[in-house]
Amino acid sequence: MAAIGDRPVGAGRRAWTVVAERELRDLWLAGRGLPLLLAYSVLLSVTSYLVAANQALNFLEQREAVSLTLQVAVAVGALLVLLGAADSVSGERERGTLESLLLSPAPRRALIIGKGIAAVSLWAAAWAVSVPYVWYLGRGVGVVGVAVASGLVVGSLLALFLVGYGLLVSTVLSSNRLSLSVSLFALLALYAPTQMPTAVQNSWIGDLLLRVDPFTAGLRYLGKLIINGHGPGQDAGWLIGPVLAAFVALAVALTVAGRLTLHGGAQT
Amino acid sequence: MSGALALQARGLKKAYRGVVAVESLDLDVEAGTVLGFLGPNGAGKTTVIRMLSTVLRPDAGRFSVAGVPQDQPVEIRRRVGVLPESAGYPPGQTGEEWLRFHAELFCRPRADARVTARRLLAEVGLAERGGSLISGYSRGMRQRLGIARALVNGPQVVFLDEPTLGLDPMGQFQVLELMTRIAGEHGVTVVLSTHLLAEVEQACDRVLILNRGRVVAQGTVAEVARRAAAPRRGLVRVPPELRSRALEVLAACEVGAVAADRDHRGELVLTVPAGAAPDKAASLALRRLLEEGVPVLGFTLEGGRLSDAFLTVTENADGRDR
Repeated sequence: MAAIGDRPVGAGRRAWTVVAERELRDLWLAGRGLPLLLAYSVLLSVTSYLVAANQALNFLEQREAVSLTLQVAVAVGALLVLLGAADSVSGERERGTLESLLLSPAPRRALIIGKGIAAVSLWAAAWAVSVPYVWYLGRGVGVVGVAVASGLVVGSLLALFLVGYGLLVSTVLSSNRLSLSVSLFALLALYAPTQMPTAVQNSWIGDLLLRVDPFTAGLRYLGKLIINGHGPGQDAGWLIGPVLAAFVALAVALTVAGRLTLHGGAQT
Repeated sequence: MSGALALQARGLKKAYRGVVAVESLDLDVEAGTVLGFLGPNGAGKTTVIRMLSTVLRPDAGRFSVAGVPQDQPVEIRRRVGVLPESAGYPPGQTGEEWLRFHAELFCRPRADARVTARRLLAEVGLAERGGSLISGYSRGMRQRLGIARALVNGPQVVFLDEPTLGLDPMGQFQVLELMTRIAGEHGVTVVLSTHLLAEVEQACDRVLILNRGRVVAQGTVAEVARRAAAPRRGLVRVPPELRSRALEVLAACEVGAVAADRDHRGELVLTVPAGAAPDKAASLALRRLLEEGVPVLGFTLEGGRLSDAFLTVTENADGRDR
């Protein structure tokens, strides 16, 4: 054992890098990362098959096929991030491993940032998996580059929003099951505006709702770029919602993370 | 107090949704002490440990650990090691990986963390299993791994919260032997929360008994046992043929509960109720036996033990509360 007072001061790596490395190893070498990615690949394969290979079902124009597949890839990729983030703190709480982390001198925010990075890595992997599908569907119509780049931008914004939201929920709620339930319910609520009647969607309130909701706004933006062939800046207004949502969710998550407690709820 | 204080608390209080867990705790523990931290379930021991290790914030009061005041929680965490009660362990990591991770969280460079992890694994007797997944560890091995984690930062104060919970006698012995060795070799202050009173008597310099969030006794083990548990049991030996008569006499003089031995050798156990003066009760009982013509062949007043003290002070406190 080290002698009393023999404590390194700032000699090691930053805590968030230590936590991120550990979380990434747990996720990808021993955890759920690979099974989730496999399921994601299967889903994209089925989607691609339905929109491209099956002539009986294929009633879509090629650009629409790319847009639909990309939207599925982005939405489900972001869902993976939410699953990872929602489990991060409440899972540690349930497994009884959170107290050991809280006993370290690492700042609470560093713990949360490290866990958030691991959750976002799910999106990075999902996007990498989706690229060949987008290339296959979009070859010949000149949308592959735009689709891949815009998918990365929109997907990353949604991933940042959902990682912030998932971390926030996981930090505050004591039960892992509750954390996952609340997170998934919120995700379903975010998809709700797409189910509004067309007339409502075309009204000013419907338009506002679609723009405020980061999910619908992001997916609309992708559609306009790929299907309508608009330039990236032409409909950039649709990205205001996702950008603001990502910023606010991360800011709130990091603020609450500073008061992370053993039993959930924010310490006053 | 002559030495530096490793732990000091004044008026520490914590309630969970209106239910008081710790009520106005005052505490002074000298550096290098091995403190037995006793109390029945729900007494507030874990809450106190969590407050002193800065995992929980007290509702009121102030404390310092290793001379660091409570408003510097990060500095306190650098100086304490804790084996939490019912600590969880990541099953998918090896013992060495887990220790390395925690060593790095205490700012140790990667190479240093590896050396520290291996040294601690050897110290707790897990050198051979350091590369195995924790999922394959027995409960005793996990507790020893938890103790190694508590030492990863070279702490000045170590809190062990029920380290022997759920262990078989051999596991209990190994953990307590390890704790004694750590305290002896490294001079750290150890706070041992446990239900094993015999081990506390053996291993601890001082003892603090907590009941319903209040300190009901503290001092050296001998002091607490003497103060709180004056002898309460006397062994009276009478001729075997007069055993029944002696039972009647003792029962009639109402000095306490009387029980006879099962093998009819003429030994009776007289238990004086808590709060009664044992010497007066014993002299009254012996006088009545002699007055009634029952010769007393032997009489022994048993010395106070920590277990008696524990029961006495917790019963008394409960009685006051009712």
